[in-house]
Amino acid sequence: MKQMRKLRDIALKDLLVVGKDRGSWILLLITPLAIIMVASFALGPAFKGELKSQLLASNLDQGQIGRQLTDALGGREGLQIVEATPEECQALSVGDKKYKTALVIPEDFSSRILTGSDTSLQVYVDPTDNVNRPFMVGMIDGAASRLSGMVSAVRVAVSEVVKFAPETEPVTVAADAAPAAVQQMSQDPPVALRIDSASGMREVNMFDTQVPGYSVMFLLFGVMLGAEMLLGERDAGTLGRLLVAPVSKSAIMGGKLVAQFCIAMAQMAILFGVGHFVFGMHLGNSIPGLILMIAVTAFTATAFGLLLASVVKTRRQATSLGTLIVILMSALGGSWWPLDIVPGFMQVLGHITITAWALDGINALIIKGKNFTDILPDMAVLLVYGCICFIAGIKMFKFRNA
Amino acid sequence: MPLVNAENLVKKYDKLTAVDGVSFHIDEGQIFGFLGPNGAGKSTTISMLSTYLEPTSGDAVIDGFSITRQTAKVKSIIGVVPQEIALYPTLTAIQNLKFYGKMYGMGGEELDQRCHELLDLVELWERRDSRVENFSGGMKRRINMAAGLLHQPRFLLLDEPTVGVDPQSREHIFDTIFKIRDAGTTILYTSHYMEEVELLCDYIAIMDKGKLVAGGTLKQLLSMLGEGGVIEIEVVPPGCPGGLVENMKMQNGVTAVRHEDSQLTISSKNSAHSLPPLLKVLEDSGCDIERLEIYTPNLEKLFIRLTGKELRE
Ligand SMILES: Nc1ncnc2c1ncn2[C@@H]1O[C@H](COP(=O)(O)OP(=O)(O)OP(=O)(O)O)[C@@H](O)[C@H]1O
Ligand SMILES: [Mg+2]
Repeated sequence: MKQMRKLRDIALKDLLVVGKDRGSWILLLITPLAIIMVASFALGPAFKGELKSQLLASNLDQGQIGRQLTDALGGREGLQIVEATPEECQALSVGDKKYKTALVIPEDFSSRILTGSDTSLQVYVDPTDNVNRPFMVGMIDGAASRLSGMVSAVRVAVSEVVKFAPETEPVTVAADAAPAAVQQMSQDPPVALRIDSASGMREVNMFDTQVPGYSVMFLLFGVMLGAEMLLGERDAGTLGRLLVAPVSKSAIMGGKLVAQFCIAMAQMAILFGVGHFVFGMHLGNSIPGLILMIAVTAFTATAFGLLLASVVKTRRQATSLGTLIVILMSALGGSWWPLDIVPGFMQVLGHITITAWALDGINALIIKGKNFTDILPDMAVLLVYGCICFIAGIKMFKFRNA
Repeated sequence: MPLVNAENLVKKYDKLTAVDGVSFHIDEGQIFGFLGPNGAGKSTTISMLSTYLEPTSGDAVIDGFSITRQTAKVKSIIGVVPQEIALYPTLTAIQNLKFYGKMYGMGGEELDQRCHELLDLVELWERRDSRVENFSGGMKRRINMAAGLLHQPRFLLLDEPTVGVDPQSREHIFDTIFKIRDAGTTILYTSHYMEEVELLCDYIAIMDKGKLVAGGTLKQLLSMLGEGGVIEIEVVPPGCPGGLVENMKMQNGVTAVRHEDSQLTISSKNSAHSLPPLLKVLEDSGCDIERLEIYTPNLEKLFIRLTGKELRE
């Protein structure tokens, strides 16, 4: 009973010390919030398709079809068309302004299509632009394909007409049919795509993925700071002072771990809270499930921090080794990009980290709309992970400097 | 009946024996001093007494409780003031004291009152709400000491409490130690300053390389050097007239005279008694005195005598 009260007082003291430490606030809250904001605002519009992609276009066509093609790209496909000379197109720049993609429509574009001959479109791309290039090229290719389809249709139609009415001039027929067909460019295609989120999955905003990823990363940085603080107490002699007072080692360790756990929970609550209330991040269907998932993650991280403090000799090592581990865990475990997009063996490897299991559970709730029961396996793995770290850490921790 | 009884304490690290068979006892109400150079093993001995370190062999009994077998009992009756400032720098003076008080099971009104008393004792009540990191070295030392006194220990272990402290703060710490002693606390004090133990301690143990090389009251220790002192005289012109040295040796109380260039070193049983006849002999020989110094015995000299080296390197 007495020892429990001392445990509580040690925890309260640690909370006070951390609360007064500006460095802790910066690492635990300010840095992750800053990164979440930067990442979300930088990547968000591209993901949502809000950013209008610009296409530099030079239409030399003397007929109508070239114009209809650019209208279609600018209208239905939602590109912003910037008119330019062929030279500007080739250089991908107009004056000072740079562009990523350009399209040149040749002079005889319409006439060749109308006479049923083949033709081509010239597209210039920026080879370093890996983000937009496939999308832009795909879009132009799509429009060109539809045009080709129409031209083929016109050719078939003309040959049929000529078969039944041999007196007619094929060129005249084509000249009548082609514009009518090309008109279709600006209307819905006969086979249109309907795109919806898969069943159970919701429209995801950028914060739904960024907030949990960076929160878990900085949760780990937080426990690293806790490990450093524990070793700092050993160096400063304050831990020694507790050892010569009538306080049990379990009360000392218990107090420190309880404080660390509370700090971790508060940190996650604030980051998720800001994510939800300020940035509109979703919290999923099961709030109790999310809280429990976060609690299990905080426990495992805390135990991991203890293990870190036990395996290193000095505070400096705690910081340097700790940083390395946190960065690796975040990269491998999916804090920075979803694990779904990495190769299979990397997904397996990633699951040696706390991060991967934690994010699996959290993302299942927030993004995939899963329920509490669906994440029980993730929680179980994390609990076992945490218990192993905890037992090893307690066994190996040295209360005295060697 | 001594309060503390240490029997053959030994502490070994890998190769090094930090404390090598130390035995002593401390009477209730005494200030017991450990005097020794850096690395002598003072802190290691204190660490064993405070149960921080387990002795490699040997044991000590404090107020009837063994430091190896009854650590919990020992912890509650001792107060420890470590050599380093073991405080939380970002917490205030009073937050530090309250926290350590709670670790000794104190609380409520009792703890508030005790904190007030101790902050008054170390004269830092006015600064109670300042962060410890903003204190001077001496002020930190005083809070460090107060933190070991909260639960009114019967036995207080003070490990070099004046390191890095200005003379005024040092006086202050001495005053406090006397007050604590007068309130009935038995104190173990370590230092490598002989003036400190000479001034403070009722009993002094001299330590070197993990062993106690001498022990006793200041008077007892100094008498080991003999009652007398050493008189050094530099004369002009250099080189003494023949017979001067012989003449001096015959004077009352003089035990030895050494002569080197212009310097005479005279050992005597009692400097005060020997000096007048010596001066007379010198005057008669026609030499003038350039410099004269009288050395009285002190612990520094004793330490050199016992170990062949100086206390402070
Ligand atoms: N943890 C340790 N591991 C190895 N050797 C140690 C350890 N602690 C102390 N020593 C050694 O034990 C010896 C005694 O050290 P101790 O700290 O007891 O000396 P001290 O008399 O308190 O000196 P000081 O006046 O410098 O405080 C020293 O040689 C020191 O290097
Ligand atoms: Mg020491």
